[in-house]
Amino acid sequence: MRSFAEYGNARIQQVQYLSSFPGQESSLRWEGKKFDELPIAHIKATYNNTHIHVTDSAGQYMARTSCGTEGFKNVKKSTPIAAQTAGISAAAKAQAKGVRFVRVLLKGLGPGRQSAVKGLTMGGLKVVSITDNTPVPHNGCRPRKARRI
Amino acid sequence: MSKHLRFVARTVMVQNDNVDAAYKVLNRVLSVDGVADAVRRKRYYEKPCRQRQRENYEACRRVYHSEMARKVSFISQTHRQDPWAGC
Repeated sequence: MRSFAEYGNARIQQVQYLSSFPGQESSLRWEGKKFDELPIAHIKATYNNTHIHVTDSAGQYMARTSCGTEGFKNVKKSTPIAAQTAGISAAAKAQAKGVRFVRVLLKGLGPGRQSAVKGLTMGGLKVVSITDNTPVPHNGCRPRKARRI
Repeated sequence: MSKHLRFVARTVMVQNDNVDAAYKVLNRVLSVDGVADAVRRKRYYEKPCRQRQRENYEACRRVYHSEMARKVSFISQTHRQDPWAGC
């Protein structure tokens, strides 16, 4: 049984790791870089394809792959395996440019959503955080009509 | 979302290189907040009459499920008052 003080300290450490609200300084550093300076991997997972763009924190291009550039065609692009290979090759290209830690930005609900992130980790990149950036319109443009199958 | 601060909302930090657990946490957050359902629903247009029907159905379903859960937990409770107290 842990003592009450030990349990309290562990909880405080947990909260300190998690809470870095905007405006607060956090002491977490990856390779000496703060969270805001880490490169970003944009993963756009549409229903037919998956694109992966690795950029630096300012948005400058570093690497770009998609299921199509990996040699898959048509229906095979919308599979998790294709997304995984795209992730591995994107990780390889980013490592060639000297990227170790990356934060992931997910856009879209497609079949390659999770396996692209898995491919990035399998390729050797360290994922620091996962953000979901799926565009949710607050009733903006009218989408296409409902399918009747 | 360009007017919002980036990397604040819908963000999950990865602990101990456990990317799968972080992804699960993110999915749970999105589904509990209703973001995943909203995205899926807005893929095709939903006519106002269909939307009203769906809202009505979801309200009824919510009431029914909460009542049923209350009844089940009442019947399956173990600490009951002693009906023969004092005898």
